[in-house]
Amino acid sequence: MKRQVKHTAQEQEQEQISDIKSGTTSAQEFASAEELIRHDADQTVVPPAIAERLARSIEELPKPAPSWWRRLLDR
Amino acid sequence: MEALVSEPIVESERPGRPKFPLQPAEFAELYQTHSRMVYYLALRFLGDPQKAEDVTHDVFLKVYRKFNEFRGDSTLRTWLYRITLNHCRNLQQSWHARKLVTNVDDAVWENAASRADSPLRVLETKELGERIQKALDGLSDEYRLLLLLIADEEMSYDEVAALTEQTADAVRGKLHRARKTFAVLFEQTA
Repeated sequence: MKRQVKHTAQEQEQEQISDIKSGTTSAQEFASAEELIRHDADQTVVPPAIAERLARSIEELPKPAPSWWRRLLDR
Repeated sequence: MEALVSEPIVESERPGRPKFPLQPAEFAELYQTHSRMVYYLALRFLGDPQKAEDVTHDVFLKVYRKFNEFRGDSTLRTWLYRITLNHCRNLQQSWHARKLVTNVDDAVWENAASRADSPLRVLETKELGERIQKALDGLSDEYRLLLLLIADEEMSYDEVAALTEQTADAVRGKLHRARKTFAVLFEQTA
């Protein structure tokens, strides 16, 4: 149910954006603060630098200690 | 300072979720699916892109290291929001000591009349993010948080209520005021 509402709202927003880009309308209208915030969230791009930094941080994490049998075999 | 969200809890086991430790592909998928909601919440709650980057990085690093603490009683989304909000709150505690924080909710509320029932009109989309941030900055932490959480359609009133440790009715009541105040503040940014 929720998903269907979301889909419809997103479609409407996309249509409004298309209209603005094509110059057929001069304003967007949002029924509520939530709808406006949702639109803003949809337009927000996560900076790629975060994923790169995260990958580096994970690389630097200490590796888990080998199991007792692995330590025994490595002797 | 009053806690905005409950502390992370260890939840009971549920089958069908990824096993710990997460495999690289599983973690990549988790990041792909949820990074925007984490980043967006941190961005708009803190109002600082650099801090939002730091929070997003720290949240996902914690998820990678501590995924075994997620047992699946709540949704993964709720768990991620809880970690994100705790990180934001920790950042704010040191931040508030240095920054004068004013909440204009009550003053704006007095003049709000019936503004919240009117649609929000936007003529220029280029600076929309800045306008939204300014309006959110004028809200109290609690109102800002409730608006941001409830704007996520994957989150129910009950989930937001559980996350912020109050009843769903209390959330509804506060949201009514938050919407009105936001509408007035947003209009002032035009």
